[in-house]
Amino acid sequence: MGTETETRAPSGESTLLTDLTDFFRTRPRLKKLAIAGPPYGVLIGFFLLPLVAMLVISFQEGQINGPWTLANYTNFLGSQTYLTVVWRTLVITVQVTVLVTVVGYTLAYSIVRFSRRATLLLLLVILPFWTSYIIRMYAWINILQSGGVLDSTLQLFSLPSVGLLYTQPAVMIGFTYVWLPLAVLPFYASLTNMDADLIEAAKDLGAGPIKTFFTVTLPMTKNGVITGVILVFIPTFGSFITPRLLGGTNNIMIGMVIENQFKSAFNWPFGAAIGIVISVVVVLLLVAGARGGGNLFGSSGGERT
Amino acid sequence: MSTDTAKPRSTGPVAAVERLVQNHGSSLARVAMVAVFAFLWVPIAVLVFMSFAEGGVLSFPPKELTLRWYFVFLENDTAIDAIITTLQVSLPTTLITVVLSTLIAYAVDRYVFPGRGALQLLATLPIVVPLVVTGVALVLFFGLIRPLIVLNGYPAVVIAHVVRTIPFATLVIIPTFLTFDRQLEEASKDLGADELQTFRQVTLPNVFPGIIAGGLLAFTLSFNEFVFTYFVKDSATTTLPVYIWNQIRYNVTPEVNVISVVFLLVAVTLVLVAVSLTRVDLLARR
Repeated sequence: MGTETETRAPSGESTLLTDLTDFFRTRPRLKKLAIAGPPYGVLIGFFLLPLVAMLVISFQEGQINGPWTLANYTNFLGSQTYLTVVWRTLVITVQVTVLVTVVGYTLAYSIVRFSRRATLLLLLVILPFWTSYIIRMYAWINILQSGGVLDSTLQLFSLPSVGLLYTQPAVMIGFTYVWLPLAVLPFYASLTNMDADLIEAAKDLGAGPIKTFFTVTLPMTKNGVITGVILVFIPTFGSFITPRLLGGTNNIMIGMVIENQFKSAFNWPFGAAIGIVISVVVVLLLVAGARGGGNLFGSSGGERT
Repeated sequence: MSTDTAKPRSTGPVAAVERLVQNHGSSLARVAMVAVFAFLWVPIAVLVFMSFAEGGVLSFPPKELTLRWYFVFLENDTAIDAIITTLQVSLPTTLITVVLSTLIAYAVDRYVFPGRGALQLLATLPIVVPLVVTGVALVLFFGLIRPLIVLNGYPAVVIAHVVRTIPFATLVIIPTFLTFDRQLEEASKDLGADELQTFRQVTLPNVFPGIIAGGLLAFTLSFNEFVFTYFVKDSATTTLPVYIWNQIRYNVTPEVNVISVVFLLVAVTLVLVAVSLTRVDLLARR
């Protein structure tokens, strides 16, 4: 063994490593475990288990390891106040999702069909996404607050000021700003992967631009649209930063209620129960999206080229 | 509008729209693009502008431009401490995430094993669970295991950041492995190298740009991360986003504009480097 490794290993190579390689070469299953094990362990230990822990704690009363109870759920689902918050959250989320989808799709379509510098433009769309969420919200506070950039600009043209901050439109603008770059990616991907000859074919067969769009382009890019919708819907539904900073007290969303339970009310199990409710909504949506043909996990899959 | 076709023109609103699209499609698209790009970049421009404004917040357009707030920022120990804390979290996070994501990519690309699909799913799943849910779940989990092991403050924040960044790094690194020509490895092995040597001298140099790009994105994300940090941190671990959050909630000073600009520069630079290392269109290829 010793002499063999010395002849195979070039000088400077540690024999320990070589021994390790030999050890694993003869034990392929152990090698797979050594490679896939660490990431598996981290993801199960610090992502899956915490979600399970949340489920368990949501059935406890008042604190971790408190007595078992269903009260967290009955209190939440039986309260008119909380159900109103859930409903408002759902309405805002749907509005934001529609808005982002329409604007994002228009943008992606324009880039794919009408520009020669698609990669550069795509980069310009994605870059803001990589800046801090808090800072992007702060920029909009500057713009929307009464006497802020928007109002000053309106004043220059002697128009009345609007003072949008702490209104629902402010929340909508904030969400749209944050998620637009994210949604454009799957739209762009599905539009570039689509066979452009189909559009020509539709036109040759006598369909006008509108008919072509609704009978060819949109159905062909359905999966990209669904993926984009999911990517916007889920984080919006759970968000607490945007409604807190831009919406104030009149536009409370469900994420803010969770934050409140953990940061000031200190009723962790109740917060956990609300977290579970959110997760259930999200899972249902994902299942619906998957059945509709969305492709959230496709980008990490794919076969070797 | 002259009719240049033999067919009589159809009338009605639909036909009018169709004609509009037919004749002015590219200009409509251009208008749409300009409008959306303005929407995306004007707020960022406003921030940069405000950081030089004499009056700090609330005066637009600024009457005088100044560098004063930049100097105030440099003398602010709390802000500088927050930056140091952020780096203390982001650098280890990046290292751990890059190693784990590379292992995931290598395993998924090379081997067929039970749970291969589950590993891919697990690596992507943190993206689709709302941040507030995962953040809260981590707090509860760390609370639950407290009798066994105490994880709070700094280690908890790093662990949370690793969970947050793995999906993005994995999404960037996996394609570089998939597009790598494995015959090069065969050649290396035929020439007598063992698997480890092959990995270090053939595979790694080839997939290295993708790994660096994944690392840069992980770093950017960790540097900007707020939600997880906000929930799992203790009072000693105040990263820059948390510091800004506190500033916005309680007492806005013009320095926040400066910090925002510093932030923007760091993020944009890193992402540009990452993009130049990988091809951005790979992200859009399914």
